[in-house]
Amino acid sequence: MSQFFEYLKMAVSNIKANKVRSFLTMLGIIIGIGSVILIMSLGNGIQGVISGELEGIASGQIVLYTYDSTGTYYITNDDIDAIVEEVDGIMAVNVYQGFEGSTVTRKGEFSVNGSGQMASYQYFSNTGLLKGRYFNEKEYLAGTPVCLIGEADAIRLFGSTDVIGMTIDMTPNWGNSVSFTIVGVEKEPENSMFGGGYDNTPVSLYFPMTVLTQIYGWEMDDYYQIYLMAEKDADTASITTQVVSLLERRHQCFGENIYQYESFNDIMSNINTVLNAVTMVISLVAAISLIVGGIGVMNIMLVSVTERTREIGIRKALGAKTGSIMMQFLSESAIITMIGGLIGILFGIGGASLAAKIISMVSPEMAFTPSVDIITVLATTMFSSAIGLFFGIYPAKKAAKLSPIEALRRN
Amino acid sequence: METLIEVKNLMKIYNPGENEVRALNDVSLTIMRGEFVAIIGQSGSGKSTFMNMLGCLDIPTSGSYFLNGKDVAGLSDDELSDIRNKEIGFIFQGFNLIPNLTALENVELPLIYRNVPAAKRHELSVASLTRVGLEHRMDHKPSEMSGGQQQRVAIARALAAAPPVILADEPTGNLDSASSKEIMQILRELYEEGRTVILITHDNKIAASAKRVIRVIDGKIVSDTNYGDGKSIEEIAKQIEEEGDKQAYV
Repeated sequence: MSQFFEYLKMAVSNIKANKVRSFLTMLGIIIGIGSVILIMSLGNGIQGVISGELEGIASGQIVLYTYDSTGTYYITNDDIDAIVEEVDGIMAVNVYQGFEGSTVTRKGEFSVNGSGQMASYQYFSNTGLLKGRYFNEKEYLAGTPVCLIGEADAIRLFGSTDVIGMTIDMTPNWGNSVSFTIVGVEKEPENSMFGGGYDNTPVSLYFPMTVLTQIYGWEMDDYYQIYLMAEKDADTASITTQVVSLLERRHQCFGENIYQYESFNDIMSNINTVLNAVTMVISLVAAISLIVGGIGVMNIMLVSVTERTREIGIRKALGAKTGSIMMQFLSESAIITMIGGLIGILFGIGGASLAAKIISMVSPEMAFTPSVDIITVLATTMFSSAIGLFFGIYPAKKAAKLSPIEALRRN
Repeated sequence: METLIEVKNLMKIYNPGENEVRALNDVSLTIMRGEFVAIIGQSGSGKSTFMNMLGCLDIPTSGSYFLNGKDVAGLSDDELSDIRNKEIGFIFQGFNLIPNLTALENVELPLIYRNVPAAKRHELSVASLTRVGLEHRMDHKPSEMSGGQQQRVAIARALAAAPPVILADEPTGNLDSASSKEIMQILRELYEEGRTVILITHDNKIAASAKRVIRVIDGKIVSDTNYGDGKSIEEIAKQIEEEGDKQAYV
């Protein structure tokens, strides 16, 4: 063991004696490890941004739809009641039914996308209210014509967001006109990545779906798709299977794949899988640069062995065994690659946080936090040392095999 | 006196076959503990091959070699490393110090390979450097020292582990006459302290410091003269000259 420290000391003193060369040798490893770490942490950062984005919108949300070419299967109000009653872990169920129309204010004529929702709409709305309130169960059951409007649309229609209590006279493209009273103004989404509000897009209104009975003259009772919101930490996969089998039982269509679903948690995990794959591929490319760096280490160690043939001869004459010489040269290449690896890790982390700074300067609303887990750091450090050992073996063997007289004879 | 080195029928043949070279041809020799022996010969005489054999740097083609009671003729590389480390202190013509190590670190090397703990190693090396008068040069690198000083570091390195045999191969070959005198003085002192010194040289005057002179020609020992302690260096030098002239006519 004490011998081992001697070899480390020898290796360190030799690395110090050839500073420039040692640094150049390290450079390949620094770049390789640095880029692996950089890419990994940027990848984690992007993943964080995307999941943050989607989580705000739809974490726990499940879309259930009928996939039926004959058009005979719907989801009915009774189905919805049954789902709420029989399946645990569901916070809210919603359906929506849209219709198109127009309205005239003193700002001009606007086309309108009306969206009839259930009273559970508030659980599915992800932006929150700027003013007022959501419509309630009572208004839903009674079919009271109240509505919510977006911040930007309020300004387009009335030039202000102080619109609570104002009315919008809505003329649908088909059916009876309705006069909606505004009860709430919704905030715009935080970033406009999915946002709208352009001048020629229709104004969106959200109101109790039961109002559609007045417009169309009949009650809505058949939907192609419904939205489920799982309770926090509920198992969305199990909820979905339960709901699907409940619907199949009620409609007598077991195993026909008529009721299908999309869970946003599934979508999230799909996106993560894709991102991970991309990160892996880029990391693989970076790892190739690591191997190139390793070959650089081997190259320099070979030069070093040739240069120090006489030193090896002297050491052997003084009693160094094959193993001692081997250890000395192996420690040298391992230390070079390990130091290179550590510098690379620092560069990678530094580069990632620099990228984060630039991104936060360019678009401050994006929550981009690059991160790298300790396992990646440890694994890369081990990997770089392993590269040093692997690529150091051949030169070290070459050094250790030299015969002392041969080595002493050379200058 | 106790036998330290016993060589019997030692052969070293290079390129066995048609163009073989018998660098050592059936050499037998016994050296006692505490002797000061010079092995002399012209270049190509086989004395360097002999020195490599005695120093366990090379393996003989045939014959036996007992060093300090151990048969070393058939040992493996690593076993020979061990023998060199424990039994032999080398002094080379070209000093053979490691350039990026200090004098002290160079002297410590054989002790490192002998697993001597750091504190003890330091103590032995300092004592050894002090013995050759370099206690004020311990932290200097070889490039910062004169040839004579470098050779004294090499002697200190050979002494540090107190091996039974000091093997000096043309120790003054790269030195001016003042430094040569200094080095030979140290070797004579080592002999007087009771160490066994084997000196390999082509220079009769240098060989005259020894008490026993063995002449090698064409891989064979042609003369082996013990001059004893009575004679002065000059007298021995003269006799070596005469002996050499005689051999030249044979």
